Amino acid sequence: MSVSLGIYGYADEERITFDGSNKRDPIFIAQGKTLVYCLDETDDLIRAVSLDLSDPQSEPVPLFDDDRSHQTELAYSPDERFVSFSECVGNLTGKLVIRDLGAKKDAIINHSGRGAYRTPVFTVDGKRVIYAFAEKGPMQLWSVDLEGKDKKQLTETEGLSHWPSFTPNGEQMVFANSRENNYEIYIREIEGGEEHRLTENRIMDIRPRVSPDGSKICFVSTRDGNYEIYVMNIDGSDVVRLTDNEERDDFPSWHPDGNRIVYVSERDGQKDIYLVAISKPIKVTAK
Amino acid sequence: MIGVGNFKASDCSGIGRRSFLKTAAAIPFTLGSTNQVMEAAQAAQKSGKVKSVILLWLWGGPSHIDTFDPKPDAPMEYRGPFGTIPTKTPGMHFTELMPMMASRSDKYTMIRSMVTTSNDHPTAGTIALTGFNENAGPVQPNFGSIISKDQVTTEALPSFFYVGRGIPRDLPRRIEGYGGGTLGKAYDPFLVRADEHGEVSIPQLDLLKGITPKRIQDRQRLLKQLDNAERRLESAGIDEWHRTHQSAYGLLADPKARQAFDLTQESDKMRSRYGQTTFGQGCLLARRLAEARVPYIQVNWSEYVETFSPNCDFGWDTHIFNFELLQDRHCPILDRAYSALIDDLSDRGMLDDTLLIAMGEFGRTPKISNRAAREHHKDCYFSIWAGGGIEPGRVIGESDAKAEHPITRPITPLQVGTTIAELCGIGARKRAEMKVLDGGSVIHELI
Repeated sequence: MSVSLGIYGYADEERITFDGSNKRDPIFIAQGKTLVYCLDETDDLIRAVSLDLSDPQSEPVPLFDDDRSHQTELAYSPDERFVSFSECVGNLTGKLVIRDLGAKKDAIINHSGRGAYRTPVFTVDGKRVIYAFAEKGPMQLWSVDLEGKDKKQLTETEGLSHWPSFTPNGEQMVFANSRENNYEIYIREIEGGEEHRLTENRIMDIRPRVSPDGSKICFVSTRDGNYEIYVMNIDGSDVVRLTDNEERDDFPSWHPDGNRIVYVSERDGQKDIYLVAISKPIKVTAK
Repeated sequence: MIGVGNFKASDCSGIGRRSFLKTAAAIPFTLGSTNQVMEAAQAAQKSGKVKSVILLWLWGGPSHIDTFDPKPDAPMEYRGPFGTIPTKTPGMHFTELMPMMASRSDKYTMIRSMVTTSNDHPTAGTIALTGFNENAGPVQPNFGSIISKDQVTTEALPSFFYVGRGIPRDLPRRIEGYGGGTLGKAYDPFLVRADEHGEVSIPQLDLLKGITPKRIQDRQRLLKQLDNAERRLESAGIDEWHRTHQSAYGLLADPKARQAFDLTQESDKMRSRYGQTTFGQGCLLARRLAEARVPYIQVNWSEYVETFSPNCDFGWDTHIFNFELLQDRHCPILDRAYSALIDDLSDRGMLDDTLLIAMGEFGRTPKISNRAAREHHKDCYFSIWAGGGIEPGRVIGESDAKAEHPITRPITPLQVGTTIAELCGIGARKRAEMKVLDGGSVIHELI
């Protein structure tokens, strides 16, 4: 696929956190008023926290009462009544939580094996959760209802499949898979299962997320030497590089307005969360 | 705890949110004649060239195939999801997870043909750190204890440090070969740790409530406090007080010794280079201890091998989340910290007499498990050597097409320990006198 490549550089960037601790998986909820992410609270605990962006003096607060389980990769249902995340409560005992925040109830998902549950996301209608799980080797994508039942296997491919994301109409699913020796990004028609590869590099393209309007995909790639954030059209065209830092930029997610992307950036050894606009490029360099 | 500030962590920037805290293959190693090897070893021994050893102990069994020995042409069920990148050593590739180390491969030499004899963490840990299996009786001494006994310093600082959270262990039990073994507990390591902000603490001093370096005004007061503490501990039946007393007293009473722990003596830029992680700051502390001429410093990646269990501190035992944690956490931390350390040692001219080694107790199964991860693998793993007279920029040893077994002469932990001892001036005769490392041979390809 032919693509154009540009570098936006630092466009209208805002730093959101300042503690420098290891953090990951930032996403917005509450129409962008609250940021949720996962933080190394101690040297032996990763915990989900929320940050009220409407109050500049606010501190991150734990999202859940449980302070003795690792919590990563949060996803919210469209109505934000349900939250799903990957949790580890004991040695080799990872699980996927689907929590009804209204009824204060967790769904239980049954799989054979003790593989790791990863990267949950809700379907556009909010009725199901899609996630990655390795039951018999390769990491495949699965689907369950909100009670953790009616389990279906969505992919049956070689390699590892991760990071599902849906177009707003729910008709297409974007994800990454490693069948071609490294992670590449694919898009699949939900009806019919037709699949197209969107990226082609000898090193990784990961963590795709479809924009709120369905026209673009943000993702991470190491194609330029280290982890940087990129945006491309939903068909894989017009790849644009959004960050240009010597250190790692990772874990991108869309702001609800569709014009900005939140991500974790490591600068001078410290990892903090930044929000960058994609609409005002400072510099575009065609490659 | 020695308060050393927050490492820019409390910079609120006005917003008010404070801290939440040459080819391996390309240069197939050329074996010198026996005489040449002997001469090289004797030269190193005579000069006592290595003054400090820093061992980066990658506890839990880091995956060799996903880091430093990728096999991109292996079948899908082996090779994993990561692409490969070239290093500065012609023909040698790493996975894309280690870009900083790849760009510095001219500063170290990689061994890809390590083997051990156990797939059990504590057992393999003991073998890796002593050269021998666990016995029914006292285990053999840790390499650091051997160096410690031979190079007892007159300085206040102990001669063998562990930098980390505790004695390495898995959930069931701790490692047996952590310390003095047959040489006695007097040669156990002295534990010190640095948190992600560079705050240094000395767990032994946790027993001495009320005593902190900051609060010590004079020797008399310190002595009185320590004596009181000694009586309290004796009455509680806690032994080994003498050693703790001596070590703690020495550390606290000697300004030069205290200074070795003070990471605020470093610029923010330097502290940042190592990364805001416990391992990164631990590596920086190790450099300071080496600078203070501590003979042996073992920086423990973690206390626990378990990689993703609550209360465990993210070891390399990636039975689950192997690819995910390597990508998101372990490799970026190691890549940065190792690169900062070797640059720092090089910039300060310390690599001539400081030996830097990084290794774990074994590797991980090249064949991907049903959990899309990797299990324990004793038959092939890596170690990384720099400084101390090691010729850098090479690869020693080669694994087979699936990274399952060496296809060159296997290198053992006993050879690792013997080589460390030799480079520190502890030759065969002295080793025999000390009754250590019996039967060991030097990895002559390194020297």
